Formats: sequence, structure tokens, C-alpha cells
Amino acid sequence: MTEPHDDRGIELPSPTASPLYFALGLSLLLAGLVTHELVSMVGAAFFVLGAVGWWRQVLPQESEQWVPLQSEAERARPVSPRRAAVDHLTAGEDRHRMRLPVEVRPISAGLPGAAAGAVAMAVVACTYGLVVEGSLWLPINLLAGIVLPSVDQASPEQLRSFHGLAFGLACGAHVLLSVSVGLVYATTLPMLPSRPLLWGGIAAPLLWTGVAWSVMGLVNPALEQYVSWPWFVASQIAFGLAAGWAILRVAPVATSQSLSLAERAGIEAGR
Amino acid sequence: MASIPLADTEPRRRFRSDVLHDWVTTVDHKKLGILYIASGIVFFVIGGLEATAMRIQLAVPENDFVSPEVFNRLFTMHGTTMVFLVGMPIITGFGNYLIPLMIGARDMAFPRLNAWGFWMFLFGGLLLYFSYLGSTGLYGAGSAPDVGWFAYTPLAGKAFSRGNATDYWILGIVVSGFGSLSGAVNMIATALTMRCEGMSLGRMPLFVWMMVIVSFMILVALPPLTAAQVMLLFDRFLGAHFFDTQAGGDAVLWQHFFWFFGHPEVYILMIPGFAYASEIIPVFSRKVIFGYSVMVGATVAIGFVSLSVWAHHMFAVGMGRGLNIWFATATMIVGIPTGMKLFNWLATMYGGRIRFRVPMLFCTAFLAQFLVAGLTGIMLAAVPFDWQVTDSYFVVAHFHFVLIGGLVCTIFGAIYYWFPKMSGRMLDERLGRWHFWLFVIGFNVTFLTMHGQGLLGMPRRIYTYPADRGWEIWNLVTSLGVVLQIAGVLFFVYAVIKALRSGEPAGDDPWDAWTLEWSTSSPPPDYNFDEAPVVRSRRPLWDLKHPDDPDWKYE
Repeated sequence: MTEPHDDRGIELPSPTASPLYFALGLSLLLAGLVTHELVSMVGAAFFVLGAVGWWRQVLPQESEQWVPLQSEAERARPVSPRRAAVDHLTAGEDRHRMRLPVEVRPISAGLPGAAAGAVAMAVVACTYGLVVEGSLWLPINLLAGIVLPSVDQASPEQLRSFHGLAFGLACGAHVLLSVSVGLVYATTLPMLPSRPLLWGGIAAPLLWTGVAWSVMGLVNPALEQYVSWPWFVASQIAFGLAAGWAILRVAPVATSQSLSLAERAGIEAGR
Repeated sequence: MASIPLADTEPRRRFRSDVLHDWVTTVDHKKLGILYIASGIVFFVIGGLEATAMRIQLAVPENDFVSPEVFNRLFTMHGTTMVFLVGMPIITGFGNYLIPLMIGARDMAFPRLNAWGFWMFLFGGLLLYFSYLGSTGLYGAGSAPDVGWFAYTPLAGKAFSRGNATDYWILGIVVSGFGSLSGAVNMIATALTMRCEGMSLGRMPLFVWMMVIVSFMILVALPPLTAAQVMLLFDRFLGAHFFDTQAGGDAVLWQHFFWFFGHPEVYILMIPGFAYASEIIPVFSRKVIFGYSVMVGATVAIGFVSLSVWAHHMFAVGMGRGLNIWFATATMIVGIPTGMKLFNWLATMYGGRIRFRVPMLFCTAFLAQFLVAGLTGIMLAAVPFDWQVTDSYFVVAHFHFVLIGGLVCTIFGAIYYWFPKMSGRMLDERLGRWHFWLFVIGFNVTFLTMHGQGLLGMPRRIYTYPADRGWEIWNLVTSLGVVLQIAGVLFFVYAVIKALRSGEPAGDDPWDAWTLEWSTSSPPPDYNFDEAPVVRSRRPLWDLKHPDDPDWKYE
């Protein structure tokens, strides 16, 4: 607060009723549409009165009033230093259950994780098709049902035969879902408690299976009709374990979490 | 420079007419801000009474407390009032009052335009309510608009809305809309050009940032509504056919125009609520806001994304799969920056020495209630779910959780927080706590149960219902909640009157806060600051109070 001030007072824009007249005039002008022409005429008069008054307020010079400064007794008290000490939060102190990963796998580690998981899941699913259903194409056609509504109407024979479109769509969906899950896996890995393979490889697939079980009828009715839940769970776990294994093989990188709060605040402020 | 002498050296008695003249001719941003807020509160009471009448009507089946025609007018005027005459003026009022104080300026950039904006809003509201006396409805008697607050065509066209009640609706909103536009221009100009020395954009209080973003949104979203309303006037007065489907017009076009305004409007109303919370929560948590930059970025993101979600109000219209997917996706995406904000407020509270004074209580309730609103919003963004509950009480519950659970609660928090600055008097803490608990409990009793009615299939805007639908107990409980809310608001009104008459003096800085408005007296003088402030961080008062550990060391 350094700017010197004039002890006598400060100039401010002077009060005026012109904006009120101008607004009243405009409102009455429009109100005449739903009332009477006379209302619009009165509105036009106020409109002109307000406009002229407003112009005269600002042209040729802005009209201002001289406002005297408040007395010393009325003025704000100067802001004074506080005696109370300032606490600084530090990582891991009492009441702060912080788990700060000093190093994490880069999010891009999700890509090799996705590739490994996708292969592992496909192997389990195709094994199910060959061994249980007698067709490699059945699980692939069922997966295509996510985006191909006609799969819902297909006969068992059709589901057990090769279809180019279904194959392409199933591959696309498999890659897309695998990459998405792989990236999420790599991102959340540092937040998981100890034994990430246990959480990411087994617990998460079981939870995901529960979600899939509840929404399968909406998302993919055909798959719900043919799904074998033990094999489904096995394919999910295969994905989780393979993806986790691949992600953990990627070299970790340092994070800014290990820096001090001040340094981090500086970084966040763009220094 | 022309000067008008104002103050006589000899004291003179100020008559009521002098006081009235002062307020009517004022161009001072603080008085205009108070006028906006006070007018908004008056309209809030009116809109609340309309809602109460509706809830009495719906409390029991086959009730005839009001007639069907009156019921239609009630829900139309209630919605229009709450959005255009309560939400908009109150957020503009706080912006008006606080932006110059927070950036160390003496007034808004365009003080006279500021006054004009307020009077346009007020006359727009009065014109709308004059319809009760002046308009001619189907039966030749005075009647208010009855086409719903979004006035869908062709219902709002001349063929189905005879008389001129709908014209009053159009003109009232057009007039008050001009006021909102002028306010938006003024806030942007003020914040961008009148900041005090040292206040870079990166040091601007989050409140100011958010009001600037809201102002840009108003400039983008409001003109299309005004344009559509002028087109509707052409249809009704001049025989044009913009929305006349039998003559080549398009009724759905109105829906697009309206919701292109209507959905950003939800965020135009809600982001100021975020702004109040972003100032109150850090002060009462005794911590700096968590993730300042992210909060600004998230608000900008909300501003952009919210301009591309409007047609989620129209999933049931039959727009086609492509558009449905686009608008569903955009709607879900807007949840990301909004969620970031919620996490940042929680992170600000986390580990803080929280003081649960009344402003903080309201902000804490806001966090929980707005989360519920956000979750039901995501549910409604899913097209199949929306098809099942569209135009049901589930939707009514959702947007009341946004606008009451979110906005109104933060407004109450803001009033308790800044009332001492505006009046120089503290609001009574005990009365405030009664207000808080009665209002929040009443709100949840009313609107949590409303989700149930919606899921059971009760359509919105129905006048009454038979006793065999299983809705009776839900409606009764919903209506009983209103009683608690009214009791809470009565405590609030009493607290305000008591504070103005005999409230405890507030002092300059009753909350030990950190932004510039608390460095001047309460209430501030006409010129705001004796000397133009100079700031070095986002919390200039913190720097002065803690010279050994100022914020500018870390920013």
C-alpha cells in the first residue's frame, strides 16, 4: 500500500438518474407492444431524456463528484502482523496418511502392458472356443457383439463360423479396450498398496467381472447368452497378470513428489 | 474536469427522500451490488411462495388447492423467476460488489452502464410480473405466462397461446437480458483493465477469474436466446413463421436456440457458486486454495465444454444417434473439470484447521449436494436412462440439487461471509446455524424424495394425480420438506433484520481473511481504498499479516 493519497478527497463518477430514465424508457417502449401505444410514447420520451442526460454526463468531460476522505476514526485499521506461528504441512506427518511414490512407471508403460494383456486374454478366450465350444471364431464373434447388433440375432452355427466384419470389429474393440485398460493400469499402479500384481492382476479383474456380470445384458446380449463365467474370469485374470508383469518390467522414472513443498509450489507457479 | 461539490461541511439531517435519491441515482458499484442482491432476495421470496403453492397442491392426490390454469402459471413464473430474477441478479450483485474491491479498484469500468444494467433487470422483472394484472389470457382476464420457463413452440406460438401473456414473458426476459449483457461487458472490462499494481492475472482472486469466465459465457449464450425471442415476437405479432411447422418453420429450432442458452445458463449460475466456495473454503480451512491454476483451467474448460452440451435436454426429441452420442459424450466430459474442482476444494479442507462457521457450513453442504447433482447429471447424460426419466420428477430433483443444493447454498454462504463487509455488522451465528440446519435438512427431505417420484414415473408439471400410483407418500414428504426450508429462510430474514438493527460490529476483517476487500473498512467508503493497493501474491493480506512467511516466496 504505497501510493500517496490526497488528504482532501477522491474524485468519483457523479450520481445520475439518466441510466434509470434510459432503462425505463426502453422498457416502456417495449411494454407498449402489450399494453397501449401511449405507453410506448411515454417510453420514447424517457428514452430521449435518459440518452441526452447520459451523454451530458460523459461529454465533453466526465462529470465527477468530490468525495472527502473518511475521518481517521472511520478508516480501516492498518493490517498488522500476526503473532501466531504458521504451520507448514510436510509429507507424511501426523494426521496425513500420505503415500508419496518417489518413482513410478511412466504412463506409456501401459502400452506394452496392454499388448501383453491382450495376447494373454486372447489365448484364454480362443482356448475356450476351441476346447469347449469347438470353434475358434465363437468368442471372436461374441466380442464383436459389443458394436455389431446383428450378432444378437445370429444362430449358433453362424457364431461358430468366420465373418470378416465381425473379426475386424472384434480385433478393433479388443485393441481399444486393452489399450484403455493398460493405460489405466499403468496410471493407477503407484496408488495400489503393496503387491500390485495381486491387486491389479486378481482383485481388479474380479471386480471388473462383477461389473461386467451386471451390465452384460445391456452391453452385449449375445455374449451374455453364451458366456462361461469361469472362463471369463480366467481371461480377465490372464490379462491382469500379463499386463502387470509387462508394466513392472518397464524402468520407473522419478516424480516431483520427492521435491519439497516449496519447490513443488514453485514449479506449479511456473518458475 | 467538471466537479460537483457533494459534502457540506456542516452536518445536515438526511431525510428518507435523500437516502432514496442516493440509491436511485447511484452509480457506485457497491450500492448497485446491494440493490441487485436485495432485489434477487425479494424475487427469491416470491418464487419460493409460488413453489410452496405448487407443493401444497401436490401434497395429496386429487387436490384442488389451486386450479389447473393457476398451476400452469405458477410453474412458469417460478422457473422464470428463479433463473432470471433470482440467480442472475444475485450473481451479478456479488460480482458488482466484490470485483472492484478484490482487484483494488475504485469502481467498475463503466459505472453508468452498471446502473443501467440494474434498472433494466428490475424493469424486466416488473414487466414480467405486471402480466398478472395487465395481460389478457384465454379468458380475457389478467393472467401470467403459462407456457413453462422454456416456452416451447408451438405451444408458445400464437395458435396455442392466445392473448399476450407469452409476450410479457418474452419482453420481460429480453429487457432483463440486456441488463445481464451490460453487466458481463462491465465485469470483463473491469477485471482486465483495472487491476491494482502487482495483480497479474495469475494473482487475481479465483472469484474474479470465475466471474470473468461467466461473463464471457453470458456474452456467447444470451444473445441467441434474445434473437430467438425476437423471432418468436415476429411470429406472434407480424405473422412470421420461424417456429410455425405448418408453414415451413421448425419448432425444434426454438429448442436448440433456447437450450444453447439454457444449458450454459446452468453453469453461468453455478460457476459464481464455485467462486464463493473458492473464497470461503480456504479462509475457513486456514489453508491456501489447493491447485489455483487447475481451478482456473477447470473453469475455463467448463466454460468451453458447457457451450456444446445443450441438446442433452433434447434426447427425447428424436435427433438421431449421431447427435445423441455427441451430446451425451460432451455432457459426460464436463464432469471431468467439475470433478477436479470438487477434489481441489476437498484437498483444501484436508489437513486444515477447519472452522465450521455458518459460511463454511453452507459450503460443506454444497460439496455433498453438488456431488449428488453431478452424479444424477451423469446418469441423465446416458441417453437410454434419459429416455426413461425425461420430463419426470427425477429431472426436477436433479436440477434443484444443482440450483438449490449448489447455487443457493453457496449464495447463503456468501451472504454470511460478505454481509459483515457490506453492512459493517455480523450476522448472528446462532440464528445462522438454525437457518443452515433447517434449510439443508428441509432441502434434502424435499428433493431427495423427488428422485423417487421421478423413478416411479411421475411426470413434471402435472396438476394433480390419482391415488393409485404409489406416489402419495413421496409427494407428502416432499411437501413437508418445504415447511423446514421456509422455517430456515425465516431465521435468515430475522437474522438480517436483527443484524441491521443491533448486530455486533464486524470490524474490517472479521474472518482473518486474505483478499483485498478485507483491507478496507466495513462497509467500505465510496472510494473503496484510501490508497491504491499494491500486491505481490494471490493473498495480499496474508503477506501483510505474515511478513516472515509471505506467499510471494512460493508463487
